Parts: sequence; structure tokens; C-alpha cells
Amino acid sequence: MKVNIPDELREILDEFLVEAAEILENLDQDLVDLENNPEDKELLNKIFRGMHTLKGGAGFLNLTPIVEIAHRIEDIFNKLRNDELKLTPDIMDVILEGIDQLKISLEMLRDNFELPDMEDIEPLLKKLDAVLKGETPEGGSSETSSSSDTSDSEDIEFIDGISDALKELIKKYPGKDLAQILEEIILLPPDQRPMEVIPEIEKLIEEGKDVKDLIKKKEKKEEQKSQETQQQQQQSQPQQPAQTQPVSPQQAPKPSTPTAAKKTSTATKKQEKKTSETIRVDVERVENLMNLVGEIVLDRNRILRVTADVEKECRSESVEKLVEAVTSLDRTVSDLQVAVMKLRMQPIKKIFSKFPRLVRDLARKLNKKVQLIIEGEDTELDRSILDKLEDPLIHLVRNALDHGIEPPEERIAKGKPEVGTVRLFAYHEGDHIIVGIQDDGRGIDPEKVKQKAIEKGLITPEQAAQMSDKEAYELIFMPGFSTAEKVSDVSGRGVGMDVVASTIHALRGSIEIESEPGKGTTILLKLPLTVAIIRTLMIGVNSQVYAVPLHSVVEVVRYNENLVKDVGSFRSFMLREEVLPLFSLNELLELPDKNDKHFVVIVKVGEKYIAVSIEDLLGEEEIVIKSLGELLADIQGIAGATIAGDGRVVLILDLNSLLSDYKVKLLGTGAKK
Amino acid sequence: MSENKEKEMNILGVEELIGEVHEKEIQVIAFRLGDELVSVPIEQVVEITSNRDITPVPKAPSYVIGVMNLRGKIVPVVNLKEHLGIPSEVPEDIYQNNRIVILDTPKGEVGVIVDEIVGSIKFPETEILPEPIGTIGIDVKFITGVVQLDGDLLIILNIESIFNKEE
Repeated sequence: MKVNIPDELREILDEFLVEAAEILENLDQDLVDLENNPEDKELLNKIFRGMHTLKGGAGFLNLTPIVEIAHRIEDIFNKLRNDELKLTPDIMDVILEGIDQLKISLEMLRDNFELPDMEDIEPLLKKLDAVLKGETPEGGSSETSSSSDTSDSEDIEFIDGISDALKELIKKYPGKDLAQILEEIILLPPDQRPMEVIPEIEKLIEEGKDVKDLIKKKEKKEEQKSQETQQQQQQSQPQQPAQTQPVSPQQAPKPSTPTAAKKTSTATKKQEKKTSETIRVDVERVENLMNLVGEIVLDRNRILRVTADVEKECRSESVEKLVEAVTSLDRTVSDLQVAVMKLRMQPIKKIFSKFPRLVRDLARKLNKKVQLIIEGEDTELDRSILDKLEDPLIHLVRNALDHGIEPPEERIAKGKPEVGTVRLFAYHEGDHIIVGIQDDGRGIDPEKVKQKAIEKGLITPEQAAQMSDKEAYELIFMPGFSTAEKVSDVSGRGVGMDVVASTIHALRGSIEIESEPGKGTTILLKLPLTVAIIRTLMIGVNSQVYAVPLHSVVEVVRYNENLVKDVGSFRSFMLREEVLPLFSLNELLELPDKNDKHFVVIVKVGEKYIAVSIEDLLGEEEIVIKSLGELLADIQGIAGATIAGDGRVVLILDLNSLLSDYKVKLLGTGAKK
Repeated sequence: MSENKEKEMNILGVEELIGEVHEKEIQVIAFRLGDELVSVPIEQVVEITSNRDITPVPKAPSYVIGVMNLRGKIVPVVNLKEHLGIPSEVPEDIYQNNRIVILDTPKGEVGVIVDEIVGSIKFPETEILPEPIGTIGIDVKFITGVVQLDGDLLIILNIESIFNKEE
């Protein structure tokens, strides 16, 4: 359905879209919190108000489908906050489905000025209406029907071919599906465990049957209801296999999957959301301001230099006054620089807030029990880093849930708590930000990783034998590597760990993996505070000046011919006791080599130290990074450029990516000795 | 692009406002690339500059000479002759001694090295002829058309196709 928005309303539409997106973004977090604290009146009120605002805005612009959905959700929350309705996971599923539809609609509206047709959202509206009328989607979420269920359970009639033991169990655990009954059995002490039923249940699950398929239908009405339920369940969770029926109402108060974030929610609740006055500013304007300040910083550096020269050459009263003014300017510009940088800083909450929902949905999908703990969500990061961080983080969290956290049965068997824990955290460390993901799952087996890499032809068995565990983990980031035995719907989405690694490196950050088989994995992303201004080492080769970001430089030593050795196909440099592979920067940059080296820069690439010889060392400088533009965006090894004091362009080298071509070959240097 | 613009102007009736001329006038900046006299519509020319410090970019495509500083912005400088397939030799002092036309392209601002700036030329749009295949040393897909000036053939370059988004 195309939407016709008159030009005079365009601006209002834009504003509405921004506001709606914000409301929905906060909502995800709030809803997951709410599921854990269904009684939280404040939260209920907040969600109600959000929906109300959304409905109002959409109404003004005549966006009927949005109004219809938002209106119903608003009504549901009105009932919830007035205690006329009780929140269950199934109601939550319907609400979440509604929210998702709102998001989709808003995206359509933003991208193509389109909205879904009313017929398309009709089933959803019906479901929402059903919730409103108290006919909760799952046969009997309301207490009355659930109690009737229990009384009914005495005289259930089963279809033929069901063992008595299973009949007993179904009566004993009314309202549970087969998978849940199986779980209950496993939880029983071994001497009480009816072992003979387990294969029977497993067989039924395999056949796609469930408890209701085994019970003879008593009344037509009930039958309809259960069919309806089934339909709704299928609609709300299309990819869910039969054995993972949603949690049934009786279980609702009992914490299941979304136990999750319980800690989170209490933690976030403590930090009362500040309502400070804000204005919305176009990112482009901030970017522009940032650029201009960058220019002023460079001009200031130039003025400082010239003033110092003037001071040396002549001394007079006016020179003294000049120096005074320049000193003051220097201070102000520094403050200005910090202030503008702060303008771009945003709390990492902006992306962390998406994870409770993500983890909840994923855990349900994977049939795992996971609790998510979020720490340090107020840590601030540069906006541009934040934007690029989201996808890698999602990927890493997916990995943690899919490959890390074991299914509940396996965890119990291993003597671990049934509910797995994923910790997402961020904190400052010097002039860096650390963002980390920790799980208490399987951990990574370095030998398995090596094996896989050998199978994929990424390394040779000889190389594998020489590799430390840390180096083995590094293999995960190599293109063409994926430890998942089967490509699952969750992790295997084409973006591999190599993409995660290259994104982080492009942000001038680094990744570290710590893992202990059986205990879990921690992945740490070390990121710079800001992308705009970096500290660099100015170096020279081939009478050109290049800037090398200091974060990748470990140390600089004098070049000494005697310390250079030819080993295998590579040259190496002796640094104290260690033998490091040696490259000349000229060869890395494909420039003519004069063999007139004076210094060696030691850089850390992954877990390896590599020596790079250069001709000149010109000192350290703080520079403003600028892009090379679209035409030259894809040149490997060049991270950008800056404008030097004399107005010339100086290229910024990314040694990590310059060396990445050699990385694979380098793995062999040890083995070839 | 220019066609669209023209349509727009027709719709808006701007043509009438300009004056009695019913034919639309095209203004180009003309320069020499080797023996060829080529030009770019003036709307796409940002600036003409010379003797800039160009920083070479290693590992860049061979037609890229380097990057320069244009009022705090980094602008790539391209050897247009090589890009267009005109035989050329880059003089060694190109990094200091050069004449550059800065163009507004789909890939952002790009500087092109030219041999000589001829100047601004105006002519009615109707004088633009389709590109004669094989008579000039430039691939026809890079050309919008040609104009016959007295004794010289003026080639109008198609900046959109030269600095194509997809490439």
C-alpha cells in the first residue's frame, strides 16, 4: 500500500519516523525487562505512553495500519497496568509480534513510502484483539481455564497405543508438552526415573506428535480453541520445530528461558533513566563541525610552531603578547576539541539494549536456557565506532549462544547450572574501550580448531604442531574458517568471524580470545575512544612521509645489518632473544627499495611480532584522520590520510592489513626452519 | 543528468526567461589531453588549479597519480589520459608541476591532470553531434558528443561514465 504524504507533511513524517524508531528501540529492552518483572507498574506505564505517542503521531499522518496495531498494543498495556490482564509469555509473544510488525511497517514507510495492506495485518490484529478480550492465545493462560485444565486432567481419554506410564506422566504434568515432560523426567532422581518411557516420548517427538495429539478431543469448542492456538503458535514461531512448543501457561510463573536478563533488569532499573533536555542534530552537521575543529587543531599546531620560531628570532613586547594570546588559544582549542569529540560520544547502551531481546528470541529458538548479563552500558564510544560495532557484536553473541552455550540437558550432565550465562560488558582502559562477550559454555578446543584449519587447507599439520593455543584461536578469524559443524539458521549467515575481525581492525581495534574448554570463552574487543584523531608515528621511505598509528607499534629499534638473517624464504630480524620476520616497508608498499634502512618498527599482528624496516623516523604526531574518498576507498593497507603542517597530504598506513597478505605464509616460517 | 536538467528547465519555463534564444546554450571548460581537445560541462567543474603538491598513493590503480589537499579535503588526482586510453607518459615532476581540473563526479571530487587549459567555450546544444566512432582515440562510451569548432574537434566528456559508481 503506497502512502501519499503531502510535501508539507514530509518534515513531520521525518520527525515521526525518528521518534517512532526511538520508541521501538527502547521498547525491546523494556519488554524483556517486563517479562521478568511483570508487575513493574512504572515500566508498564512507560510502555503504554510510548505506544500512545506512536499511535498519536501515526494518527496525525493517517497511517492506518500503524494506528491499528499501536492502538491495540496500547489497550493491552492499559489493561496490564490496571491489573485487568496478566502478562504471560504467550501474550508477550503476540505483543512482540505486533512490535515487529510496527518496525517492519516503519521501515517500509521510511524506505519506500509504503505500508502493509490491512489484509496482511488482519491476522495479527485478530490475535491482539483476542489478547484484549482475555482469550489468551494459549488455550488457558488465564487462571480460571488453567484450573479447569487441572480438574479435567483426571478424566483425559487417550488415543490407542499409548503406554500406561506415559498416560500417568501426562496426567501428572498437565499442560506440558512432550519435550517438557521429558525434561521433567530427566530432572527426577535416577531411581524414580521411568526409563522405559523416554524412548517412547522421543519417538513421538520425532514423529512430530505432542500431548494434544494423544488425547481424544472431548468438545468441539475445545478442539477449535486448540487448533487456533496451534495456528497462532505456528504463525508466531514459524521456524520452531514441533517439540519446542512455547512454554505453556502453567509454567509461566516458573522461570524458563527468559529468566535471562533478570539480573540485567534489576541492574538497569537502578540507573534511573535521566531525562535531560536534548536537541536532535543531523549527524552530518556534527561531522562537519568535527572536520572544522580538526582543521583548527592543525592550524593551531602550525601557529604554535611559527610563534616558537618568532620568539627565537626576535624579542619584543608584541611578540610576548602574541605568545600569550597563542597560549590561550592553544588551551581553548584543546577544550574545543574535547567538547566536539564528546558530542559524538554515545553510550554503548544504544546497541547493548538490542541484546536482551535478541538473546531471548535466540534462546527460545535454539531451545537453550540463557541468562544475559549486561555491564557497563553507560560506557561512551564514538558514534561511528558504535554504528560499526553492532553487527560484529550480534555475530559474536549469536556464536556464544549457538556454539558456546550447551543445551540444558548437556549442561546438567556436565554439572553446570542449567541456565547458561552470557555476559556482555564494556569498560574504559586507558585511552581505549574494551567491549567483551563472555559465556560459560563449551569453550573452544584449540586442537579442534587446528584440525579444522588443516582440513580446510589453511595450515599444514607441521604448522599446527608448532602453534600455541592463542595462535590457534587466531585461525578462527581467517577467511574460509568456520567451526560450526552444520550451518545453522542462527550463526551461519555468511558473515564469518573474518568479517568481524576485519571490521574491528578497520576501526583500529584488536580482538583477543580467551577460552578454556568446558568452562567458556571470553572475546575482548579493544577499541579506540575516537576515530577522528589518532596518535601516529611519522616515518619516511622513498622520500615520502607516512603516518603509522601508534596503537599497532610495539617498539622502534635501530636497524643493524648484523641482526638481519636469511631464514627460509623470509628474512628475519634478531630482536634480543627473538627471531622476527622482517619486511621492508618499501616491499610492502610495492615501492622501489634503496636498501638504506635506519630503523625497524616492531608491530604486533594478531599474536605475532613482525619487524618492518624503514628509512627515516620523523617523530610522533597527533593527526586528524580523513578519508581518501570513494575512488580510493578500497586500497589495502592505507587507512586514510591527513594534512600535514605544510599543507601536504600524508597517508596513514594500516600495517596490519598491509601484512595480512603475508600472514598465512608467515605461519610457516617456524616450520620451515 | 544534463538532459534531465534541461527537461526541468523547460517545465519551469526558465528557457523563456533567459531570453529570445530558443536553443539551450552549453558552456564547457575545454582543455588539451595530448592532441585531443576535450571538455567538461561547466556545472561539473569545481575548480581549476595548478602546481599542487601531489602525494603518491602506493598500491593504487595505475591511473591514480596521488592525492592532493583541496582546502582541507583530500582529493584524488587522476591521469585522465591513461584512464581514457590516450597514450601518455607521466613526467617525473608531475607531483609538483601540474595543471589540475577538479571535477564533481559520482565518486566525489576528483582532480584530473590536463596538458593545457584552453578556456570556457559556449555553443548551442543543437551543435552537439553524436560521437564519430574510430576517429578519435577515446572510447565512445566516455563521450557525450563532439562539436565542430573551426578547425578543431571538441570532445565533450561524459563524467558519469568515466567515474562510474559501479566500477
